[in-house]
Amino acid sequence: MIENTVMLLIIVPLLFSLLFIALPKSLYKYLAWAFFIIGIALSVSLVLGGTGVVPVEGPNFAMYENIVLVLEVLVILYILAVSAKYKNWPTLGLGIISAALFAYTYANVPGAESASFNIDQLSQLMILIVNIVGTAIILFATGYMDQYEEHRHLNRQRTFYFTMSFFLAAMNGLVMSDTLGWLYLFWELTTLCSFVLISYNMDEEGINNGFRALSLNLVGGVAMSIGIILLATKYDINSLTGIATYAGTDAVALAALALPVALLCIGGFAKSAQMPFHSWLLGAMVAPTPVSALLHSSTMVNAGVFLIVKLVPAFANTSLGTAIAVYGSFTFVICSALALSQRNAKRVLAYSTIANLGLIIASAGIGTPLAVAASMMLILFHAISKGLLFLCTGEIEHTIGSRDIEDMSGLIKKAPLLTSIAALGMISMLLPPFGVLLTKWVSMEAASNNPVVIIFIVLGSALTTVYYSKWLGTILSSSMDKNAVPHKKLETYFPLSVLALSIIGTSIFIFSIYNYFVGPQVEILLGNVPNITGPVGQFTSEIGAFDYAAVFVVLALAILIYLATKNTTTRKVNFYMCGENNLEKDGLMFRNGVCDYEKCSVSNIYLQNIFGESKLTTFGYAISIILIVIALAGGVGL
Amino acid sequence: MNDILTIILVLIGAPILGCLASGIDRKLTARLQGRVGPPLLQPYYDVRKLLSKDNIVVNPSQNFYVIVYLAFIILSLLMLVFKQDFLMIIFVYTVASVALVVGGMSTGSPYARIGSSREIMAILSYEPVLILYALAIYLLTGTFKLSALLDASSPLLMYTPLIFIAMIVVLNIKLKKSPFDYSTSHHGHQELIKGMTTEYGGPGFATIEIAHFYEYVFLTGLIFLFWASAPVIGVLIGIIAYLLVIVIDNITARVYWQWMLKLSWTILLVISLVNIAFLYVSGVKLI
Repeated sequence: MIENTVMLLIIVPLLFSLLFIALPKSLYKYLAWAFFIIGIALSVSLVLGGTGVVPVEGPNFAMYENIVLVLEVLVILYILAVSAKYKNWPTLGLGIISAALFAYTYANVPGAESASFNIDQLSQLMILIVNIVGTAIILFATGYMDQYEEHRHLNRQRTFYFTMSFFLAAMNGLVMSDTLGWLYLFWELTTLCSFVLISYNMDEEGINNGFRALSLNLVGGVAMSIGIILLATKYDINSLTGIATYAGTDAVALAALALPVALLCIGGFAKSAQMPFHSWLLGAMVAPTPVSALLHSSTMVNAGVFLIVKLVPAFANTSLGTAIAVYGSFTFVICSALALSQRNAKRVLAYSTIANLGLIIASAGIGTPLAVAASMMLILFHAISKGLLFLCTGEIEHTIGSRDIEDMSGLIKKAPLLTSIAALGMISMLLPPFGVLLTKWVSMEAASNNPVVIIFIVLGSALTTVYYSKWLGTILSSSMDKNAVPHKKLETYFPLSVLALSIIGTSIFIFSIYNYFVGPQVEILLGNVPNITGPVGQFTSEIGAFDYAAVFVVLALAILIYLATKNTTTRKVNFYMCGENNLEKDGLMFRNGVCDYEKCSVSNIYLQNIFGESKLTTFGYAISIILIVIALAGGVGL
Repeated sequence: MNDILTIILVLIGAPILGCLASGIDRKLTARLQGRVGPPLLQPYYDVRKLLSKDNIVVNPSQNFYVIVYLAFIILSLLMLVFKQDFLMIIFVYTVASVALVVGGMSTGSPYARIGSSREIMAILSYEPVLILYALAIYLLTGTFKLSALLDASSPLLMYTPLIFIAMIVVLNIKLKKSPFDYSTSHHGHQELIKGMTTEYGGPGFATIEIAHFYEYVFLTGLIFLFWASAPVIGVLIGIIAYLLVIVIDNITARVYWQWMLKLSWTILLVISLVNIAFLYVSGVKLI
């Protein structure tokens, strides 16, 4: 049963990618709906099927292994061809290195007899994210792409939907494979898909940013394949579970694994766009918004943190783990600061993604059961909220024609439903009772034994509050012009509503999610579970407790009181401008000294000269590179 | 049953206390300025008058944010009284602060938006200090739950003097007193443009005032924690801190928000961090 679901999860998205190529554009909408429904059905059935290992042996294995080999060769050839075509020499160089490593692996690493897929709770969680959030994004795209292409005179939707679906197939394979060789193939496939999608516009900017993503991820890929070669040749390890088992034998084995594991983690850092690799994710902003949403929430960047969480047994409570925690929390604070200085909504979201992934990595690095639980929950909540926020930003851009936060003031009047959904997404990123904050709370409590990490998290968390509440206030403010009219397509608002409801649902049922997915997985990774108990509606760890139900109740109460008092003697007036309102016109403009009218405009504070990119980026590069070197040095036992 | 009684007591008692505190503030401020000042119950008369007026709004949703503000201040106060997780209390309190900011911005009014922007900067200034305070409690007791403080062998203040100083400044910022009253001028209630709250009037504004009464109790409650093992001394310290804030309010003038951000991210953070570093290094435990 579970074998079939595993295969279907890879084959069905591939099938859909082919259907998108074969069928005319008019049918895409129906295809996307079908994909969405089948995606949910498949992922839920995988979860219901339970956990287990699916081995691939005998003739089947030989066949698949050949397919894998052919695909790997094709990936490398494609990289070489495309970088030669666009004369991108660094990428070509990296492609050649990858090819050499591949040839070396083929010649020197002993071939395996079998491979396996390992379905544990983390894989299940990731499958749910990929196939529900991911397909919802594709559904959203059918309501989005026509207008997008119209503006830019493009006609490449075939490529777009093909790559998006293929991406989901690769992601499904990635989060299920246990065998490192196969994991690496899927890993490189996601890199390729992101390259194609980022350079979607085929203009100079798009192609440059595509190559940046490709080359930085190739750097990560090279580090990773060296790690895989080391593991295979020195310790005869060729699977993720193999690493965990070997690391569990004794302290000497754990120390020996540090270098290859650190190399694998660097692959993860690059994929998750951590500093100093972060520039590719910012460059990815040039792609259509559904692409950004997919990269940020359900695919690409999640692959990196997924791998790091899976590697927890190999670095928990070691100096390497501490180095990873410091590194992750540093990215968290520096990218939160950078997000504060941005006016471009997509850049704010991008920095916020990098920051939150840093927090996930920091939590994994801390390596206590509580912290690892926090990192897994954060992956889930972050995926839903960030997917929603990106889609909302895309739709806002189509509604008002700008992605500048300042232009979004008054949005609540123009597109009330869209704004409310976006506001929910933002609130869920920073305030209780929603999941992201709750997991942030857990990771803070877990990090409190490491002074450097906790201070970075404290500062980053304060910065996060600032940039989200600023944006939240802006979209909820009322200015009076109502020119923009949102188009209300079902394909647009249905995915948004699904994600919005998921935020509320997952936050309410956080304890069930914890019990079903997170607790058992932490037990697999670390051998013991975090001491989290409590009745439903309360979250009690060994060092603190939180009644999140109380917050929900108070919130509901506040809404009820508001609705009950809504119709009592409320008189609407224009806002106060020291008596200088123009009474002749709309009452909203200042009357200035020469009896003329002026619109007042107030903008938010961005602190460009403290937290601006020009001030912090170089500093961030320097520190993050030093921290990575320290992680590697911790690996060789210095 | 006992819990319900406590809740009722807090719901009724806190605003009375807060109202008196506010009255004392007005009286003391007047005396420091050489005036007679209003009667002690003036804040109560103000609220009663506001409640009898029409609720004039720019945007009906602004009332919602005020209700959220009040509700979450009360919730954080209750969590404090029930000795819950301190870190979580801070986050719940943040909901209230953000609600007031968004409420100000939601009006679209230029003055309210400026006030809100500045208040966001205030959040940036005080939030790290507050969380470091929580961290200090954790380091000393091994848990973020405040219940542990009651069993502490010696008062928190013995080991956290620098954080105490930082918290006094935070109290100044949170109560919007000079020199940090730029987000809503609070000086003797005599200015027309009151930052974030410019567009509130009547019952809406009364709600904010009532929420402030609760907030007075909540914030002095945070100071009380420094000597929670001996409640009498704790209360005394809370009162002294409050009086100190009023004095500072009267002897300083309003500053730029940039100045405050610098003060907080350099001096306040550094002294808090020194204190935290001391706790890590010395490994003192109160339990």
